[in-house]
Amino acid sequence: MVINMIKELVKEEFNNDLAEGAVLVDFYSKTCGPCKMLAFILKDIDSKLGDKVKIIKVDFEENPDLIEKYNVEGYPTLIMFKDGKEVSRKSGLQQKPVIQQND
Amino acid sequence: MKKNIGYEFKEHLVHKQAKAEAAMLKEFSQGQYTMEAPLIKYNPYFVNDLAAVMLFRTEEEVAITIRVLGKTKEADFYHTFPKGKEHIIPIVGLYSDYENKIEVYPYQKYNQKVVHTIKTPEVAGAKLVESMDTTPEHMQDNVIFLCPAVNDLAIAVDYAGDVRLNFTVPMVWDVKRMPNGNILIGSERLMKMPYFVSGIYEMSPVGKIYKEYRVPRGYHHDQITLPNGDIVALNCDLENGTVEDQAVVIDKDTGHVKRTITFSNFIKPGSQKSGSWSDEDWFHCNAVWYDVNTNSLTFSGRHINAMVNIDFDTEKLNWIISDPEGWPEEYLPYMFKPIGEGDFDWQYEQHSNLITPLGDVMCFDNHHFGAQNPDKYLAANDSFSRGVKYRIDTDKMEIEQLWQYGKERGKDFFSPYICNVLYYNEGHYLTHSGGVAFDGEGNASEELGPFAQIDDPSVTLESITVETINDEEVLELKVNSNYYRANKFTLYSKDGNNLTLGTGQLLGSLGETPQMDYDIPAEDSGEILPDKHEARITDEVDMFTFESKFEKGQLVMLLLESDKETRRYFISTSKGKRGAMCTGTFLPDDDRDTRTVISKEGFDGDYQVKVIVDDKKYDTGITIRA
Repeated sequence: MVINMIKELVKEEFNNDLAEGAVLVDFYSKTCGPCKMLAFILKDIDSKLGDKVKIIKVDFEENPDLIEKYNVEGYPTLIMFKDGKEVSRKSGLQQKPVIQQND
Repeated sequence: MKKNIGYEFKEHLVHKQAKAEAAMLKEFSQGQYTMEAPLIKYNPYFVNDLAAVMLFRTEEEVAITIRVLGKTKEADFYHTFPKGKEHIIPIVGLYSDYENKIEVYPYQKYNQKVVHTIKTPEVAGAKLVESMDTTPEHMQDNVIFLCPAVNDLAIAVDYAGDVRLNFTVPMVWDVKRMPNGNILIGSERLMKMPYFVSGIYEMSPVGKIYKEYRVPRGYHHDQITLPNGDIVALNCDLENGTVEDQAVVIDKDTGHVKRTITFSNFIKPGSQKSGSWSDEDWFHCNAVWYDVNTNSLTFSGRHINAMVNIDFDTEKLNWIISDPEGWPEEYLPYMFKPIGEGDFDWQYEQHSNLITPLGDVMCFDNHHFGAQNPDKYLAANDSFSRGVKYRIDTDKMEIEQLWQYGKERGKDFFSPYICNVLYYNEGHYLTHSGGVAFDGEGNASEELGPFAQIDDPSVTLESITVETINDEEVLELKVNSNYYRANKFTLYSKDGNNLTLGTGQLLGSLGETPQMDYDIPAEDSGEILPDKHEARITDEVDMFTFESKFEKGQLVMLLLESDKETRRYFISTSKGKRGAMCTGTFLPDDDRDTRTVISKEGFDGDYQVKVIVDDKKYDTGITIRA
C-alpha cells in the first residue's frame, strides 16, 4: 500500500520532520500558477514514491520566518533535505524527471 | 456560431524576401533599364529602411562603381561591383528623410557618371544619436553598428553621427562580420520569453538573409565561428530546467548540431553566486570565444562573476578568472593570483570576453555589485564599468591587469548589464558601455535599462561607445537608448558580394519544445476561450506563438490534441522580474501578457489547439498543421 506523504506544514513538527530521511519542501504561494501546476506533479511523484520521500508544503506568504531561515527568494522553490541537511534546491516550475533526479 | 480566436500565418522572412526578389527581377526583366534610367527598389528586403537595390543593364560587360554621397565628402560610401552586363546593385548607407544622391559609372569612367536620387522617409532610429566625437580620418567609411537592448532597433552611425542603417525588425544579440563579408546576427523570431530567439541569420547589410542557422532550445547573446567555419552558439539546458548554460557546435553547411557542451559538466551550479544569480539562470553565459592557439573555449558567466576556459576537445577546465572569495576549494587551483605594481580589480558580472593574439584576456567588466560578498556590494551610484585587459600566466597561475578604460568615469559609464570590448591592435580598443540608465534625479539606476524604462518614465537611457588608442580617446559616440553591443565595420564589404540572389535557407532545427508530463484535471467547457483573454495565434513554418492575457496566478496549460497524441505545454502566469534582461526588446507593456512559442519539431499531422484555464478546458477553434 502506498502511503500519501504530502503534508501541509505543521510548524511544531517541522524540525522533527526534517531530521530524518529524505524530505522535499515545497515553498509555494496560493496566487502562483506554476505552484499550482507543481502541486499536481508533486502529487504524482508522491503516489509513485510513497514513503521514500516526505513532501512538506510551506505557504510562502504565511511563513516569513522559514523563508528567511532558508533564504528562499521566490516561489515555487523546492528544497531537498536528507537527514536534516539541504542537498539540493530548485526554483521555478520543474519537470517530473528533474525533481526525481534530486530525490 | 462560435468565433475562433485570432489566427495569422506569418511567412518566414527568407520566403517573404524570395517573393519580393522574384517580383523585382520580373519587373527588371520586363523593362529596358539602363544606367541612366535604372529600376530602383527602396528597402526591397523589408529589413533596412536606409537601403535600396538598383538594377540596370549595360551593352558592354563592365564593372560598375557607385558612390553614395554623404552630407560631406568624407561621409561618402563607395564600392565597385564586378564585371557584367546585368547589374543588380545594393545601395546602403542612405540618410533618413533625405534626398540621397547616388553616383553611378562604369569603373574608371568617371566622366560617364550619372546621379540618381533616392528620397527616404524619416526612420525610427535617426534621432537617437546624441553626439559623435571623432574624425573622418579615424573612421574612414566605417560605421558603428549598435545591436538592440530595448525597443530601439539596430542602427549604424557614421563619423559625423548620422544614422546610415536602420533595421525595421528586431534582430538582436551580437553582430559579427564573416570572412565572406556577410554579417551574423540573432533572428527576430522569439522562441521563449524574454529573449531566446530561433537562431542566427547570415545576411548582408542591405537586408537580404541567406541562411538562418536555427539553434535548438533558443539562441541568446553570442556566437563565434571556428576555423573550419562551424559556429559555436549559446543556448539553454532546458531539459534540466535551467537556461543560458549550454553551447552547441553547429555545422556550417547543414546547420545541424554536431556537439552540445553543458556547462554543469565543468562548473557545479551554485558554486559561486553573483548579485543577479538565480537557480534557473545560474551561469548566465553572455559570451563565447574560441582561441586557436590553445584550442580552447572561454565562456563569460555573468552570474558566477567568472570567465571560464575549457579545452575544446575534452571540455576539461583549464582556468577561471574570478575573484576567488567564496569559491569552493575544488576550484581554487584553477584560479589566478594577482601580481604587478599597478592597479588591479577583479571583474564582476562581466560581458564579452575575448583572447587577444598575444594571449591576453579582455572583457567588459560591468562591475555590477562589485564584490562576491553581498555585505560589500556597491550601490549603482558608487559603481563603475570598464573595459579591462589581463595578462595570465597559466604555469604560475598569476594574473596582471595591463589596461583598463572606464573606472575613472564612475557612475556616468556604469552599465549593470550588456556591453562589450573589441581588440583592434595592441593599445587600440573599443569599449562599449551600452546599458547606462539614470533616474529623474540623475542617480545611476539600480534597475536594468529595460525594466527601468518601463517602471519610471523619467528614466533616461544612454549608450556610450569609446575607442582608445594608447589611452587617447579617438571616438566617443553617445546614443539616447541602451544598446547591447557595438561593432565597427564598413557597410559595403570589401571582400564579399554584398548581395547574392536566391531564396535563403532554413538550416538545422529548433528542437522540440519541452512538454509538461502531467495532465491537469479540467472540465471541458465546450466553449471558445473567452474574448477577455485576447488570445491569438501566429503560425509559422516551423513554430507557432500563442499570445494571451491571464491574471497572475492562474493555472494555464496549452493543449495540442491530434488523433494520435496530446501535447501539453505549461503557460507561466507568474510576474517575477529576472535578474538579467540583456535584451528587453521583446518585453510586453502589460504584465498580463503571456507569449508561448511551440516548435513544430516532432509534430505529426493536425493538432487542435485547446487551453486549460484553472479547472476549465476551452477550444480555440484553431488547428495547427505540421
